[in-house]
Amino acid sequence: MSVARGSLYRTVQRTRNRGLTGLYLLVAALLVAYVSLFPGVLSLAGFSRFTQNWFPLALVTMAQALLMLNGGISLSIGPLVSLGAVIAATTMSGPLGVPGGIVLVAVTGLGVGAVFGTIVALFRLPAIIVTLAGSFIVGGVALLVLPKPGGMVPAWFSDALAGQYPTAFLLLLLVIVGWKVFMATPTGLGLYAAGDNPLGAFRSGVRVERVRIVAFALSGLLTVLAGLFVAAQTGSGDPVIGAPMTLNSIAGAVLGGVGFLGGRGTMRGALAGSLLLAAMINVMFFLGFPPVAQYVAQGLIIVAAVAVPELLSRRQRA
Amino acid sequence: MKAHSTKLRSIARWLAGTACLAALAMPLTAIDAAAAANCIKGERKAPYTIGWANIYSVPTWMKQTEGTITAQVEALKKEGRVKDLMVTDAQGNAQTQIQQIQSMIDANVDAIIVIAGSSSALDRVVSDACDKGIAVINFDSLVNTDKVTSKINTDSNEWGSKAAQWMVDQLGGKGKIIIMNGPAGVSVSDDRRKGAQPVLDANKGLEVITETNTEYNVAPAQEAMTSLLFANPEIDGVLSLGGALSAGALLAFDRQGRDPVPTTGENARQFLELWKEKGIKGWATMQPNWLGALSVYAAVQALDGKPVPARVKVPLPVIDDASIDSYLARADKFPADGYIYSDYDQALFDKLLTE
Repeated sequence: MSVARGSLYRTVQRTRNRGLTGLYLLVAALLVAYVSLFPGVLSLAGFSRFTQNWFPLALVTMAQALLMLNGGISLSIGPLVSLGAVIAATTMSGPLGVPGGIVLVAVTGLGVGAVFGTIVALFRLPAIIVTLAGSFIVGGVALLVLPKPGGMVPAWFSDALAGQYPTAFLLLLLVIVGWKVFMATPTGLGLYAAGDNPLGAFRSGVRVERVRIVAFALSGLLTVLAGLFVAAQTGSGDPVIGAPMTLNSIAGAVLGGVGFLGGRGTMRGALAGSLLLAAMINVMFFLGFPPVAQYVAQGLIIVAAVAVPELLSRRQRA
Repeated sequence: MKAHSTKLRSIARWLAGTACLAALAMPLTAIDAAAAANCIKGERKAPYTIGWANIYSVPTWMKQTEGTITAQVEALKKEGRVKDLMVTDAQGNAQTQIQQIQSMIDANVDAIIVIAGSSSALDRVVSDACDKGIAVINFDSLVNTDKVTSKINTDSNEWGSKAAQWMVDQLGGKGKIIIMNGPAGVSVSDDRRKGAQPVLDANKGLEVITETNTEYNVAPAQEAMTSLLFANPEIDGVLSLGGALSAGALLAFDRQGRDPVPTTGENARQFLELWKEKGIKGWATMQPNWLGALSVYAAVQALDGKPVPARVKVPLPVIDDASIDSYLARADKFPADGYIYSDYDQALFDKLLTE
């Protein structure tokens, strides 16, 4: 590592970004390819549409990364997205209205997350088992709330969130600012510390259990909000729509350099990972790849995203 | 500034002109609107580009369906009606499918053929396509919105009620049965089950011991049936509401050394062969794979300005103990884990689209 020039902050950030150069370049290349294949994405409507398709994945990837940074993981991301979507679709056109629906969805997410967090933190059970069990319960509840696709989200709300304007992108910026603020609080710092070295963190005065519960609650909140957005985007609820998101959220986070063991990785990396997954789908469509080739290309891009930074860092070390 | 005002004036002139034209053309368009299919604005000219937005390309049923689609496209290419086929695979993710249909709209395809990954989630993106004058043909798994050119399907309710009725007739209205369903929360599987319910209600002698919900695959169905066989010494019939489920059930009976019982199902080759081999009483219908080819045909008809009904209800072909041999005779033309569908040709398509 070079001797620190400038502030300590910059140096730290440079170290944290180091493994991600490859990913950033890959994402930039994909975006350039996308723009040249479909210039319409630069128009306001085109940009809005694209970011709308990225937004839910970005949220669940953040929700997953938040837990992984703390040394946890969630296998109930998908069902929780579905639960958020069906609650939104069944309440918003009823007496509770849109504000009531949003509150109910948010409370559900915080509550479910906090329960998972409490079980993991206080009973010292592995997060992977607790959230696996939780995924069946949450998925079942989603099916109870809405046994088959249906429900309704008011059209004006759909148009406001997922219409011609980049509301989704602005919301994402807001979430990112929120994350930055959270990272400046003792709890936010504790999240990394407890993920990296729980015992050390505990001895330095971090309330490890409480931090874990907060991490799960916030992760639950982000997840159900993704569900709420999906409900708005589709104008309705579907009790199984979130299913693929569990794996995608993990893929996005891991691509973004977030480690499974806690304390390693950055939120910006996770966001870039999710953007890679979202942009890849569109680029491959415009390249006209047949589906079978798409599977192969997807795999190659993902391997490249993980391998290139690894190889680069190895060369730097040598 | 000057350029601006000239532009304004030319717009005003254009508006006035269009208004006159519109007034003149009013009676004409009224007639056209009655004749043309939904979503069609008449601006698109052959040869057309067709987008096929698949939800999941891996299952054999899907591969066979895609086979009928590409065959139909090849035929239409030769006639100069179709230029290109763009295929996407959402890998089971409805959210991805929305994104891919959006990309098809961005690429300005002329028609979109779609099997919906969710009956509700695609509504908004599909109506957007319809607004842009793209012919949207939706088959198999349907969307809720009516803003599509046409929805083509068999009737899942009827599927369930016919199967249940056959079971009632077979058992003389008395006996213990197991119902095998597809995954919970999926419209097709829910609708088939719902269709069976009135028949079961009307025949109280038929006792439903238990029900299963599994993916439409042999292995999970066999597993589920195996544990049920341990628990239930007396089973008189298996009301299976999906092809691969029936094959799984028959295999489970076979492995346990139990005598097979009357079984319903679909045209899965494996099921039909087991049905014949074990000599059971059987009944099967099908979701014909050629619904894909029919959708391509309907899209081109609609784009050509011909009328295409907003809903096409394809009658369920039935396979029973009398007709099974005619299906098995063609078995070698189909994959071992595939579906033996009934024959189709353009005459059949024309007939279905005029009804």
